[in-house]
Amino acid sequence: MRKRVFTVLSLLVLASLVLGACGPAATPTKPPAQPTTAPTTAPVQPTAAPTTPPPTQPPAEKTLVIAIGADATFLDPESVMNNESGFVMSAIFDGLTKYKKGTSEPGPGLAERWDISPDGKVYTFYLRKGVKFHDGTPFNADAVIKELDRVKNPNNPYYVYKQEGVHSFADFTWGIVESYEKIDDYTVKITLKEPHAPFLASIAMVWSGIMSPAAVEKWGFDVNYHPVGTGPFKLVEWVRNDHITLEANKDYWGGAPKVDKLIYRVVPESSVRLLKLEQGEVHILADVDPEDYERIKANPELKLLEQPGLTINGIALICDAKPWDDVRVRQAVNYAVNKEEMNKYLYKDAAVTAATGMPPILMGYPKDLQPYPYDPEKAKQLLAEAGYPNGFKYKLLCYENPRGYNPVGIKMAVAVQEYLKQVGIELELQTLEWGTFLATRRRADNKDLGMVGWSGDNGDPDNFLWEMFSTDNIPVGNTAHYSNPKLDEILRKARVVTDPDERAKLYEEASRIIHDDAPWLFINHTKHVRAIRANVEGFALNPLQMFWYMEDVDLK
Amino acid sequence: MAKGEQVEIKALGQTRIVPVQRKAVSAPSLWRRLLRSKSAIIGLVIILGITFVAVFAAQIAPYDPIKQSFIRQLRPPSASFPLGTDEFGRDILSRIIHGARWALLAGILADSIALVLGVTIGLIGGYYGGRVDALVVWFTDVMLAFPYLLLAMIVVAIFGPGIRNAMIAIGIVYMPQYARLVRGTVLSLKEKEFVEAARAIGASSFRIMFRHILPNCVAPIIVMATLAVGWAIVQTAGLSFLGLGAQHPMPEWGAMLAGGRNYMLSAWWIATFPGLAIVVTVIGFNLLGDGLRDVLDPYLRGR
Repeated sequence: MRKRVFTVLSLLVLASLVLGACGPAATPTKPPAQPTTAPTTAPVQPTAAPTTPPPTQPPAEKTLVIAIGADATFLDPESVMNNESGFVMSAIFDGLTKYKKGTSEPGPGLAERWDISPDGKVYTFYLRKGVKFHDGTPFNADAVIKELDRVKNPNNPYYVYKQEGVHSFADFTWGIVESYEKIDDYTVKITLKEPHAPFLASIAMVWSGIMSPAAVEKWGFDVNYHPVGTGPFKLVEWVRNDHITLEANKDYWGGAPKVDKLIYRVVPESSVRLLKLEQGEVHILADVDPEDYERIKANPELKLLEQPGLTINGIALICDAKPWDDVRVRQAVNYAVNKEEMNKYLYKDAAVTAATGMPPILMGYPKDLQPYPYDPEKAKQLLAEAGYPNGFKYKLLCYENPRGYNPVGIKMAVAVQEYLKQVGIELELQTLEWGTFLATRRRADNKDLGMVGWSGDNGDPDNFLWEMFSTDNIPVGNTAHYSNPKLDEILRKARVVTDPDERAKLYEEASRIIHDDAPWLFINHTKHVRAIRANVEGFALNPLQMFWYMEDVDLK
Repeated sequence: MAKGEQVEIKALGQTRIVPVQRKAVSAPSLWRRLLRSKSAIIGLVIILGITFVAVFAAQIAPYDPIKQSFIRQLRPPSASFPLGTDEFGRDILSRIIHGARWALLAGILADSIALVLGVTIGLIGGYYGGRVDALVVWFTDVMLAFPYLLLAMIVVAIFGPGIRNAMIAIGIVYMPQYARLVRGTVLSLKEKEFVEAARAIGASSFRIMFRHILPNCVAPIIVMATLAVGWAIVQTAGLSFLGLGAQHPMPEWGAMLAGGRNYMLSAWWIATFPGLAIVVTVIGFNLLGDGLRDVLDPYLRGR
């Protein structure tokens, strides 16, 4: 008899799952917006013990809640490079430079101004005075030097690369630095190995935020869990996979924040995130499923913000493996896929078709460059010329979940699979867990195609073209194993030239070469989209997708 | 889950003390009694219906289950698309019909793997006893100590994702259930006179195990096998739901459920109908399994 009871129970569970699916759709009436303080006082899951007891809140306190899809991993800017960690760190830290609001153009940050030597190698930074870290440590030249020592000096006990399995941007940002020295308490001189045009943009990245040297000494590598910066908010509580609570830094040099608390709440399911936004439990969605755009636009209590994205999204073709070593085959697949249709139906118009390896909003993008049009006949013809009139079979490695540059996840590959079938190419999709996916695709002997994409780090073309199309970056950044000596020469030159016009010309030429060689099946540049509640004021998107200038955000 | 199962199996095993004579229940009378049970008939009808759909999927399905067409994406149920379409404009009904093949295949294949391996191990352990038995018990205990889905995920992680490997994984995970059931039954049977008689006339161990003992374990095995088909279908769908089973664009119910999850607020039909298909199929196998147990279990008989 117990078996039967169990059977009934298991059926009930299944039935409730299914009924749950129908529930929300069947009841269109929206629950009234709840007071914004209510969810934050809700008890934390008993399994995850809070590091500090939740403080009692005076009624007038303003709490802004941001929903993120996954938890941050670490919170030391120099030891991490995933978006979710960046979302949180961008409110805690400042760099020497800071992107001007809403742009990817570097302006003054912790350095008020700077001089660049005529040869482009020596940068002298004049630091902001009177700034303190959250722990009271004064910000000055010593703090900057200690921070640089942590990323440049292998003998430093806290050298970031001493951590096992660390994913750091330090080499990308600071690798070009040859030496650094303190001139006086508020002046620092940094000498580069060679002129490097993207340097000022790179040090504005969230990954270049400056940590309190006292915190590093106190916590060692555990500073990953006890971050102390100079930014508008400071960490008070981090409950794993649940939420991260920040508190306003009233003494912030850029002005005191308008809200008292900032909470990043981890909500993995996109439909649950939307419901929480609709009910007023959260105020900002960091990631929005394209399927939800219509619903958000139709709701007067919500706003959908969008701007052109600093992204690229596509499929890496393996240029050193048959049949992809033939440029005609690579061009054929670019003709075979109806990218406009994908943008319209899959990305809900929040994407523009890609023609080359970097987005059109960057400097040096050739304005007249057109994407490959949808032309299956031309694709078949090219395949026939290359010796594959009947097509062929090939394997495509996929990730499942949405990413910043591809909000539809694996659906992109499923659509491409169908288009390529029309011209005779059979793709076998294999889904891998994200870590395995990266490791497999970054192997030098990998011959499988792979979904690929990139969100810009510092707003410089170099960060796209050099990273993903230079011979030097095979096989990790350049997973297509694409090598063109002429392109390498142009990209190398563009790194050291400091004249913006000359750089732009070089990147125009590079973009055209990459378009013609088609090392990728270029799909699109997805827009940067966020949803907020209508009572959130002063919130601005920026092309780097981080949560900067949160001190300006208010709740009405 | 595992705990309830164990208690149940023990009870099943003990009941086998009664029918030592092999012809205790004749097949025709079993059949008649089975058909007297309403739930068993319902279960049987469901299973036959799904089998029919699976076999003739290509003839029944109104559309190609994997053919995409963006212009008809996310259509609600209508006359031309009775269960609506998904985000790629694929007909949900056609996908469910073709998915029945994978569901049945998963259920039967996984169950067969579990049955063959589990029965063999249980038979050997129970019959030989001693160290062999201790090894079998230790092995099944270790496997049962793991949450079944975790174990299945480990197996899939080793062999790589895919529907075939998911079926194998589920089969391996279920194996100890059979091993326990059979071992318990064999322990009580091997002391019986007919086994002693067989041994006395010089029958080999192999012959005694498979010709004399195994036929007496058939009834509980049949019950477990029927119930396990439903279990295996749910678990394989579960692995596909997690992305470890069926790969795109295969029309598999678990994968369809996962794909429709994000559309619950805007297009409920994508996840709902595959979910219902799983529920109905599992109900079918569970009803039949329960009916079979009522017929085969002498303690329940006549109540």
